[in-house]
Amino acid sequence: MTVSAPNARLTTLHRADGSATYSHGGYSILGSVNGPIEVTRRDELPEEAAVEVIVRPSVGVGSPKERHLESIIHSLLRSVILTRKLPRSLIQIVLQVMTLPEESEESMSPTASTCSLPLLPHLLQTALLALLSSALPLSMTFSSILVALSSRDHQDVPTFSPTPQGIRSATSLHVFTFSQRGRCLISESSGTFSFNAYVEAYKVAEKMCTDPVGQDQDEDIMVGLDEPAHNLTSFVRSKVAEKVESEQRWRRNS
Amino acid sequence: MPRETEVSLNERDFILKALSEQVRLDGRKFDAFRSLELSFGQEYGVADVKLGKTRVIARISAEVTAPYVDRRFDGIFTISTEFSPMASPAVEVGRQNDAEVLLSRILEKSIRRSSALDTESLCIIAGAKCFSIRADIHVVDHDGSLIDASCIALVAALQHFRRPDVSVEGENVTVYSIREREPVPLAMLHHPLCITISHYHSGDVLLVDASLAEEQVREGQVIISMNRHGELCHIAQYGGVPIDPLLLMNCTSMAFGKVKELTNTIHEQLEKDAKERDAGGLIAELSAENER
Repeated sequence: MTVSAPNARLTTLHRADGSATYSHGGYSILGSVNGPIEVTRRDELPEEAAVEVIVRPSVGVGSPKERHLESIIHSLLRSVILTRKLPRSLIQIVLQVMTLPEESEESMSPTASTCSLPLLPHLLQTALLALLSSALPLSMTFSSILVALSSRDHQDVPTFSPTPQGIRSATSLHVFTFSQRGRCLISESSGTFSFNAYVEAYKVAEKMCTDPVGQDQDEDIMVGLDEPAHNLTSFVRSKVAEKVESEQRWRRNS
Repeated sequence: MPRETEVSLNERDFILKALSEQVRLDGRKFDAFRSLELSFGQEYGVADVKLGKTRVIARISAEVTAPYVDRRFDGIFTISTEFSPMASPAVEVGRQNDAEVLLSRILEKSIRRSSALDTESLCIIAGAKCFSIRADIHVVDHDGSLIDASCIALVAALQHFRRPDVSVEGENVTVYSIREREPVPLAMLHHPLCITISHYHSGDVLLVDASLAEEQVREGQVIISMNRHGELCHIAQYGGVPIDPLLLMNCTSMAFGKVKELTNTIHEQLEKDAKERDAGGLIAELSAENER
């Protein structure tokens, strides 16, 4: 059960307030954040910032699939960003899909990949990294993962971040998002599955997403540090550490 | 939506004064492009162009559809340019702004209407099946010269793209996937590129590849589409300031030199990319393409 390590670069654009390029398992997404900026009268909220999420596909114009993803991401980010600190303003998040894995594209037109779930965790990760790059106040960080359940010998076998073939052969797909403290923020599922299978998927996803530091005993921290690619929270943490280090370089050189 | 931030009066005066003293803000020569970085994606038909801080990504895709009823022998070629707030927060989603309209119109005229892409070659069965080629232009970062950068990205992506091979037996069409048969490049008749020339001080100063600040203080612009043989495809003058015919001649000769330069850069990058893909030297054998 190996997961290929995700890759990210922060602040790749010069015009946007914050931006990030995130690529993982054939997916590559460019995210940008503008905010807080002036808001139109129509969208203005008197006590908090309005959050606007725009998901743009790599080919063609947005469809209901993108609108659905936008609504999921919007509902999460609204509570993650400390919107009450920035009333009567707008925070605009654009997520541009750059590449999809090769095999999934061939099956773009048939019903196989009309399911929007495989893209969702990557969009969420990109949005988080772009927000971190923009230095907007956040109440928490999170990490998101796709779990595919495929039945083998009447047993449900969970797979993390499955390949496009894995997604096609899976009986159900689940996207889980956990805060770094281990609270479940998003649980989206599609396909047929039993409750027990869901609980199992939940447990493995929780283990993958939440931070081993601060929850377990000291020995476990060492385990966590040995395999940083296997834990998404430590991945986000390392990226932010890199960013902070590069921003503080003026201090070290003087 | 906030408005696009304009340059202040002081900045405007400074840039114009400097230009009249033959100095550009970033120290370039008047006829010099910023550094052009062109890279191609893993897949065919993705070109990423960085022109200074401007960044444009073009992506070509193909699918099989029925041709238009009045054009039974032609395939379909569409160019879609939709701005997103990523390029500039002044862009409103779902509403076209002037820059977007201008960009799509110029690309339409200089690439599609100059028949750079031979649409007849996209026909599979007349009146029944043809390829529909779609070009998506994603403007990711905006720092001036959008038209030039988008045009370079589009032309490079079209040359880089490979459509799936097809075979026709009577009424039956077989489309082969990339794994089954080596995909074929698009038939392009020529490779036009756009050069935007901004003019200042009633035509005394002509700049190529203006940055965003320089674009904001210019009097007008001349957009010239040309291929490397010097064949003019399209010429447009915007800004409302009259321009001397002789100056226009100057502009075209200036553009000609630039187009040759840029075409060479694109070719070099394409060859480099082809060499990288051609790991075992098998591409030539796999190709089913005939010499034209």
